Amino acid sequence: MSALLPSGAAYRDAVATALADGWRFASLHATSDHGDPAVRTLLTSPEGTTRLETVDAHGGVVPTIVDLAPAAGWDEREAHDLYGVRFDGHAPLRPLVEHEVPLARFTTPVHGSDPYQIAVGPIHAGVIESGHFRFHVVGDLILHVDARLFYKHRGLERAAEGLPLADGLPVVARACAGCWVTNAVAYAQACEEALGLSPTPELARSRTILLELERVWNTLNDIGAICAGVGIAAGTARFAVLADDARQLNARLTGHRFLFGSVAVAGSALDLDEAAVGDARETLARIRRESSRAWHALLFNGSFMDRMPDIGIVDADAVQTLGVVGLAARAAGVAEDVRATSPWLAYDGFEPAALRRPAGDVQARLEQRALELLPCLDILDRLLAQPVRPSAAVATGTGSAVGVSRVESPRGATSCIVERDGDLVARVRLRTGSYANWPAVAFAAAGNLLPDFPLINKSFELCYACVDR
Amino acid sequence: MLVLLRDLRKLRRSRGLPPARRPGSLALRHVDCGSCNGCEHELTLVSGPTVDMARYGLGIVASPRHADVLLVTGPVTTRMRAALVTAYEAMPEPRRVAALGDCALGEGVLGSPSEIFGRVEDVLPVDLRIPGCPPTPEAIAGALLGLIDGTAAS
Repeated sequence: MSALLPSGAAYRDAVATALADGWRFASLHATSDHGDPAVRTLLTSPEGTTRLETVDAHGGVVPTIVDLAPAAGWDEREAHDLYGVRFDGHAPLRPLVEHEVPLARFTTPVHGSDPYQIAVGPIHAGVIESGHFRFHVVGDLILHVDARLFYKHRGLERAAEGLPLADGLPVVARACAGCWVTNAVAYAQACEEALGLSPTPELARSRTILLELERVWNTLNDIGAICAGVGIAAGTARFAVLADDARQLNARLTGHRFLFGSVAVAGSALDLDEAAVGDARETLARIRRESSRAWHALLFNGSFMDRMPDIGIVDADAVQTLGVVGLAARAAGVAEDVRATSPWLAYDGFEPAALRRPAGDVQARLEQRALELLPCLDILDRLLAQPVRPSAAVATGTGSAVGVSRVESPRGATSCIVERDGDLVARVRLRTGSYANWPAVAFAAAGNLLPDFPLINKSFELCYACVDR
Repeated sequence: MLVLLRDLRKLRRSRGLPPARRPGSLALRHVDCGSCNGCEHELTLVSGPTVDMARYGLGIVASPRHADVLLVTGPVTTRMRAALVTAYEAMPEPRRVAALGDCALGEGVLGSPSEIFGRVEDVLPVDLRIPGCPPTPEAIAGALLGLIDGTAAS
């Protein structure tokens, strides 16, 4: 990597050309390149390859790319608030992480005689993470939602800086319990790419098992959450028991209900003998039986299903514009799943599940979850056919200063970029599926009725913790 | 239905849950001050069918004005401190504060010192400490019952 970084104009051209060639925006962060302030943008191709465009940030100003890739909006606002970079052309550059500013700078001006604002949070009425929403409404109709998150910002990326690469993992993965494995695997793979290591097939299998175990409990939990959003107690209770079952299995296999501590850089200590994999397959087969029974009970519950269609729509066009990832994108008919392009994981021949009715509404996102649970259980059944042994990554290259990895979390593609200084973390950036999709929640809510917002929100079931970090 | 109840009883026995019949009740208000969402996931299951905290007289209420206990998770971030204090001040007396999970007790991976205000007890008087990362639903229910029974170790 050259110390002479591209200028603003060259950077914008490079990003514009890549986007025109079918690349998608994946992440943007402020950093320093050999001591020079810089901004890096991560782009991904449909084949799953990644590239970083780095731009010189001397003088603290770089040109915005938010007009080319609206998905970069939050990233640029974060880079401004935390690293002081200004983005020329991004106006107004609203605060995102910085809370010590007048509220008027956070909120979109909505004019007229009837609109008024409803402020919700940061503390919510149930057992929910903290975050603030400002609804601009006329009567029950939502005109616009301003989401003000980052109440839970713990500075985890900064806390990881200066640590040995291996010790950075628990700090970065701590971002979220719901996506612990995804975040940990994304970080570990990025470190390994930077160190010139590659996983062995056994390491790939062990990580894929953990990722899919995480997806199982999350999927069950999220279907239950949609039931809770509607207020159907029977569905909430049944899926809560199933999610608990899956977490108990996690605890039996790894010693932790949320799989904490099961992933490491450059290797895996996961050791599952014949009895353990047998228990796992048996439990997962039972979960498959019971969840499909519970799902059919929901499917034929008219008052429940009537709440689902035609609300909270994020269609395929909006998916492209907003950079929506994961299940929310697939529910709108955009077949995008990092699992299909993950050579470092054991997803051989994986194809994203496609709905017959990819309408991008709450119903589609609910059905997409139920649809994806089955292939997820199939993958686990296949991978758990033999015992799992501890394994280590092998050296295959010389490595580089920066490593990049993308992993499909239960909420969508998570990108992790690790910049190293020898064996220490110089900078790490974790951009989770939740981070990518939060702007879509606000988009989906506009034009709907306020009482439908909890349901629309639950249909995405995004983490706040993953975003705030 | 009867089958379901029998299964539930078996499930509860296998999880070593305390017996349900007891006098008293507690209204709980949860405040997330920067957790990883693990404590929230487990707390949600405390009201699920297996533990079913309502059997013990425990319930989550929507407002701190209705609450006996403020259940605080996470290391207290600088951005959540004011909201936490506001919630506490809105509670009627007598009131109790429970710090739920290792982060709330100032242990484990917390974050960058500049973004973390401190432990829950650096902000509010803490009556009950529930360690664990995260504590299991049974541990949360068991610890809260200690407050009703007056046996809580703080």
